[in-house]
Amino acid sequence: MFDYLHENGIKNFVGVPDSTLKKFIKCGLENNKIIITTREEEAIGIATGMLLAKSPSLVFMQNAGFANSLSTITSLVQLYKIPLIFLIGWRGFLKNDAPEHTKIGRIQPDLLKIMEIDHKIVQDSNWKKMCDWALKKFQNNKSCALIIPREFLD
Amino acid sequence: MIRNEAMQIFLEKIKKDPIVSANGFISRDLFNIHDKKTNFYMIGSMGLASSIGLGIALTIPRKKIFVFDGDGNILMNLGSLTTIGKLQPKNLIHVIFDNSIHESTGGQPTSSSIISIAKIAKSCKYKKIFTASGKKGILKILNTIKNNQGPIMIIVKIKGGGNSGKRISISPEKIKDYFIEEL
Repeated sequence: MFDYLHENGIKNFVGVPDSTLKKFIKCGLENNKIIITTREEEAIGIATGMLLAKSPSLVFMQNAGFANSLSTITSLVQLYKIPLIFLIGWRGFLKNDAPEHTKIGRIQPDLLKIMEIDHKIVQDSNWKKMCDWALKKFQNNKSCALIIPREFLD
Repeated sequence: MIRNEAMQIFLEKIKKDPIVSANGFISRDLFNIHDKKTNFYMIGSMGLASSIGLGIALTIPRKKIFVFDGDGNILMNLGSLTTIGKLQPKNLIHVIFDNSIHESTGGQPTSSSIISIAKIAKSCKYKKIFTASGKKGILKILNTIKNNQGPIMIIVKIKGGGNSGKRISISPEKIKDYFIEEL
């Protein structure tokens, strides 16, 4: 998925690590294309700067970090209409995930809806199609989110 | 010296370079003193001016990028200093107008009167850190940094108060479009 997005024009991948996305991030680190930030809002700021300089960017984070970023999304990404692609790992998708993820995981679909963020759920069977959908949104100057449910426990 | 007096001195020297300005009175002052298309007026997302500036600086290394930040703003996103230090953008000039208060919300105190932002920046591997409080000092620093590589921090100690001027009358979408077009 990393290679596909990179080959199709996404130049920068900025965000906060998440275990659901660890393979994606590993791939980006090996390609020296990842910037790890201290918080999700910071990642959105950096990616916004890159977009202002015409360099296509993706921001990755866990859903808990997405919740950290709500105000930045409304007052920067949506206010200025910045075409960012969000890649969000979804903890709390499985009912028996760790307890700190239960509530925020349960309200994740409602949060996306209330924030009016166009989004798609990514699975093994549809990832390419979903990446194409996000790339098309980007080309049309729209922000959107790809959500990856964590379907394993460790 | 109050904020808009200090900013005026900078703007006499920064004619064309892109500037990202922090939300609140800093963006308003910049708009009222010297509006130009390569000003990115951040009006929300408090704390993120330095992050936006970093993203631009990394993408266009041949251009000097100024960030006009405030003490309240940078204290809200101190992690940004570590990321800037890690990535070492040579073309980033990070100006902090430090009045030790959150002026636009009513003058509540920040911790910058007790905690040294300059020392934090030093720990974060900023290449040069300057502190100024008067016109002469600012002009001298602006002259010196012509030969310095960044990341550079300039802390300008100012007093609170002064008229903030009118709100920015350009829509956020236009601010973005102008900036992208002119950069």
